[in-house]
Amino acid sequence: MTEMTAKRSPMAAISGVMRNAGIAVALVLLILVFSLTTTTFLTPLNLTNIMVQITLNIILAAGMTFVILIGGIDLSVGSVMALAGVVGATFVSNPELPTWLAILGMIVASCGVGAIAGTINGLISAWWAIPSFIVTLGMLNMARGGALQFTQANTVYIANPAITKFGTATVAGIPVLFLVAVAIIILGWFVLNKTVFGRMLYAIGNNEEAVRLAGHNTLFYKTAAFAICGLGAGIAAIMYMARLTSASPIMGNGYELNAIAAVIIGGTSLAGGRGSMIGTLLGAAVIGVLGNGLILIGASDFVRQIITGAVIILAVILDAVQGRLAAKRKGA
Amino acid sequence: MTDMAPGAPILSVRHISKQFPGVKALDDISLEFRPGEIHALAGENGAGKSTFIKVLGGIITPDQGQMELAGQPYAPSGPNDAIARGVRVVHQEFNLLRHLSVAENLLFERLPRKLGILVDKAEMRRRARDLLNLVGLSQLDPSTPISSLGIAQQQLVEIARALSDDARVLILDEPTATLTPRETDRLFEIVHRLKDQGTSVLFISHHLDEIFAHCDRVTVFRNGKLVATQKTAEIDTDGLVRQMVGREVIHAPIARNVDRSATPALSVSGFQTAINARRPDIAFDLYPGEILGIAGLVGSGRSEVLRAIFGADRPARGRISRNGQPVAIQSPRDALRQGICLVTENRKEEGLILPMSIAVNTTLATVRNISSGGLLDRGKERGIAGQMMRSLDTRMASLQQAVGSLSGGNQQKVVLGKWLLRDPQILMLDEPTRGIDIGAKAEIYTLLRQLADQGVGILVVSSEVPELLGLADRVLVMSRGVIAGELAHQDMSEEAILQLAYAEYAKEQVTRG
Repeated sequence: MTEMTAKRSPMAAISGVMRNAGIAVALVLLILVFSLTTTTFLTPLNLTNIMVQITLNIILAAGMTFVILIGGIDLSVGSVMALAGVVGATFVSNPELPTWLAILGMIVASCGVGAIAGTINGLISAWWAIPSFIVTLGMLNMARGGALQFTQANTVYIANPAITKFGTATVAGIPVLFLVAVAIIILGWFVLNKTVFGRMLYAIGNNEEAVRLAGHNTLFYKTAAFAICGLGAGIAAIMYMARLTSASPIMGNGYELNAIAAVIIGGTSLAGGRGSMIGTLLGAAVIGVLGNGLILIGASDFVRQIITGAVIILAVILDAVQGRLAAKRKGA
Repeated sequence: MTDMAPGAPILSVRHISKQFPGVKALDDISLEFRPGEIHALAGENGAGKSTFIKVLGGIITPDQGQMELAGQPYAPSGPNDAIARGVRVVHQEFNLLRHLSVAENLLFERLPRKLGILVDKAEMRRRARDLLNLVGLSQLDPSTPISSLGIAQQQLVEIARALSDDARVLILDEPTATLTPRETDRLFEIVHRLKDQGTSVLFISHHLDEIFAHCDRVTVFRNGKLVATQKTAEIDTDGLVRQMVGREVIHAPIARNVDRSATPALSVSGFQTAINARRPDIAFDLYPGEILGIAGLVGSGRSEVLRAIFGADRPARGRISRNGQPVAIQSPRDALRQGICLVTENRKEEGLILPMSIAVNTTLATVRNISSGGLLDRGKERGIAGQMMRSLDTRMASLQQAVGSLSGGNQQKVVLGKWLLRDPQILMLDEPTRGIDIGAKAEIYTLLRQLADQGVGILVVSSEVPELLGLADRVLVMSRGVIAGELAHQDMSEEAILQLAYAEYAKEQVTRG
């Protein structure tokens, strides 16, 4: 478990470790079940497949963890990813630009669009104290509409060999895209656990008023959490383009729900103040393995949806039980 | 144990123990409560009183021991079971539903029905009215939402709710902490009436005068152990305090007159808060090394003045000067930059992050000092927080313990430690000893006097007049949002303060009449 939770109390630390251990055990059990019931699950090809499949969700969920930790939510990441993608694609698909400039332009544009959309989400919800649920619901529509308007509803195809190469590269058999996602998780873990910034996010999630009255600029921290989440959507857009060599204004539809699910299954409390980046990685892995394995054992798409939904509810129940236990200890 | 009332005990507790991680909260407690007695439970915070009443109320299951209620084994499975058996606890923290009406809260467990499913509103109002009359809230409209009530009124509603079922054992956890003297008197009238009807009342309070005035017997807890149970007639205040702290108590250091020829450390003039919006005329000076008290009734605007100076709610209207220089304070950040700190009234809501550790909370306002380049230095954090907590003699298992698991007095020390690390020049405190035991109170008084001696200007709001008399060098009295008067140390008395506190309210009556 992360050190941040360990900071809170010996008991909280134990329950935190237990929680991550619980998700890890669930993940191992899932892998075990699918390995025994299918011949195709535990093959290098399929495992590589899963890694590629969960890459985008890991990155979106990593950003989402910041927002949920401060007690917010960001419903716009899927749409913002599309907008960031189509804007970035205009650079990378422009044959007149030298390759380095095309790539750099895409990175700056996609990340910039994502971060700006996130900053707007954060500023509006923090300044006027509006539930981020509503603000980001608005942004969901604006970004999707913006992406459609920008492309006149056309898909942008990317014929840049450099980005194609990046999208299919592997290191020791592991897709580079997946390694980037894991690196982002590690970076996120570092920020949340080792920096003053991360400390403040946990503190705000637990008691914003106390943090404000201790002289901290809570507006800045809250806005920054949303900006990071938006930045995650921008990075996810780049990864998407690298994998599929195109950017579509309708890409990322519904991705926000998978990202939120990964964060919640990973043990981060929807009420804020409690959770970890490692949990989020495990949560995304659980969703990915479950989805992949169910296909392999022949479950229909509908059954898959039912089971994934049930797992989300189960995770929230576990969170509620944990919250109640914490309240009981506090009563001590 | 001394027998008091004749007849069998209504509730007996035998050899109850409860262990929490790192602390034995209750250690072999045996005690009997008799029908028709008011039994006081005294002890410092952390002595085990709260755990004990949670055991009685079915919130916590003890590790060892048995209980008997009216001769039957009593092991409540939860609060509802306890209530069904006739044991009712009125907690310090309210269990009211903030968005529902007073009437709905009062009758939540037994809403009157008609046609089986519909709520009988008329009957509900009638019953609610009866209950409100019992606690002296006859003016209050039962359809008012709880969220619009003041804290004292909420306490009275909570008590009224406990009266809605005929409890055999009624447990009141610090019911008077938020009440005015008049409301307190009213409460004790009710309690005595219940006693006459045969109810056994368990009363927890830090106000020893209330214990001696109203209770038949008093039990003292210390560090989870039962020290003594005795008739209140057989012990005096000093003896009781000795049992509670296990040593002699240091009395509040004597206040003195401060050199007022110096430049004031803080000057406020033309000041306006939400309460005195029509009369922007709050003005006073605070001198270095002075402890200035602010007295007044609850709701007279004392907290608002402190919060406005601190920039807590919105930019203050009016002029503030530090050492003669005008300053603009738009936010707590600005106030802290001017060396002004505020210990708020609600330490659980505004002062502390309860689920986080002592170390985190202590360093919350000084994260710069425990980090470099934005990276936390946990070694430094432990060093700084540990040293501060030791110097305040905070009782804790470890720095990593959640602040919420500390007793009230120790929680307040964490709040104070957080500000002391900022080296304040002006320290403002709003009800700094509310819900804090005698031992910790004395330590806080001593600390404040030491800070004043070092030249810190201290502004203390308190509803406990004796506290201000002992602590403050000078007192401002607020009434209806304005400063009704100022009393120098030699002129301070309980009567003088109360007279000024009611001054503006009295004027209102004259103009109305």
